[in-house]
Amino acid sequence: MRPLTEEESKTVFTKLANYIGKNLVHLIDRQDEPHCFRLQKDRVFYVSESSMRLAISVARPNLVSLGTCFGKFTKSGKFKLHITALDYLAQYAKYKVWIKPNGEMPFLYGNHVLKAHLGRITEDTPEHQGVVVYSMNDTPLGFGVTARSTVDTRKLDPTAIIVFHQADVGEYLRDEETLF
Amino acid sequence: MDVSDILAAHEAKQKAVLVEKDIPLEVDSGFLTVTDLNTIDAESYEADLEEHLISTARDGVQTLIASLFSLPTTSSPDGPLAQLPPPTTQLPRAKPLPKPKPPTKWEQFAKAKGIQNKRRDKKVWDEEKQEWVNRWGWKGANKDKEVQWLTEVPANADVDYDPAKAARDERKARVVKNEKQHRANLARAEASSSSSDRKRDIDRTLAVTRTSTASLGKFDRKLEGEKPLKGVKRKFEPTEISASQEKSQNLAILSKLGKGPMTKKSEKSSQSSGGEVLNVRKAIRTVSKGKGSAALARGGSTKGKKGKR
Repeated sequence: MRPLTEEESKTVFTKLANYIGKNLVHLIDRQDEPHCFRLQKDRVFYVSESSMRLAISVARPNLVSLGTCFGKFTKSGKFKLHITALDYLAQYAKYKVWIKPNGEMPFLYGNHVLKAHLGRITEDTPEHQGVVVYSMNDTPLGFGVTARSTVDTRKLDPTAIIVFHQADVGEYLRDEETLF
Repeated sequence: MDVSDILAAHEAKQKAVLVEKDIPLEVDSGFLTVTDLNTIDAESYEADLEEHLISTARDGVQTLIASLFSLPTTSSPDGPLAQLPPPTTQLPRAKPLPKPKPPTKWEQFAKAKGIQNKRRDKKVWDEEKQEWVNRWGWKGANKDKEVQWLTEVPANADVDYDPAKAARDERKARVVKNEKQHRANLARAEASSSSSDRKRDIDRTLAVTRTSTASLGKFDRKLEGEKPLKGVKRKFEPTEISASQEKSQNLAILSKLGKGPMTKKSEKSSQSSGGEVLNVRKAIRTVSKGKGSAALARGGSTKGKKGKR
């Protein structure tokens, strides 16, 4: 377990900023309890300072997980967000997409969001913007990237893809072994 | 006829041109510089700083321009040109002084014996030719023995003794000896320079050469006792730095991210639709029916104007 280097921090922050924008400050500068980012076996954990200090005494091979896993670094140095980060993303998300009840199950099985399933979308969402996907009763289901801007979605046919799937809560079951 | 006001006006004009100071201003017209060595008048300085600075500067420029007009001029198509004299101000040198060269063996010896070094002229007087000739080199005096038409031969000389060749060989041997001594002097100077510098240079060169093969040195034959190359060691922050310190570091990175050059993706999205309501790329595509902005400009249609960029 070690803190992120400056280069790694930049990668993680740019990825997070794609979803929550300026609200990223609230993750770093928390009012309640100081939190920090830690890297353990190429996974990035967001953990409170007190639990981080407890985890220091655990040997590196024995430490499986701590705090909240935000994602992992690929071998080529890119950062991939995991579904476990959804709690924080949903809390601070800048752009949101709500899907109709008939679209929930297809999304939870890992499919993209189609226009037919689109309930609501934040106004003036740009193209290729990270968005958090909610069900109609405001339960966060996952996150993805918009295929078109809000203005462009109007003209599309119902089978067109609106949001590219990146992660959904179905992964808790599907990728149980590798997720944490 | 009353000329008093004309005189007063003339005097006022002169007053504006003349600059009177306790210590006269130093003018270096070569550098177009004026130096004012007078002490600052505290009263006027306190009263109005701007006014004081402007008046001091005006006096200096007035003196400089007056000195320029007193310089000799030449006429040119663009008007008279003043010839600037060579500058008098000494400027400090830009580079540090060169380090003294380490003494040669002869210089050491001469110093120990108290021998004064006499510089020999390159030219010597030739009595026969009645002119100055080179001591060495082209038509040098040191080659006299090789070119003279009559040579005294020692009594015990061989049958095939060639006096010209013998003199030449002797001269060439002196050149070789001198070169050898020069090399020895250089080597001695190198050895006396700081050894840590030399060691570092050698180590660096060795490290470069060891990785300069096609396999980056992987399949080279190892010498006995050769140590493996050391790479750059990664260094990380300690795990338990205080949260406040880490927070400030992270916030610094975050502020840098906001200011720094945008990533390709964010740049593209902000260009296409981030900043403005109209997606220009899409608008061009729609209006030109997929032919692009160039086709749109060529067509010169009325509604195409706005989409052109």
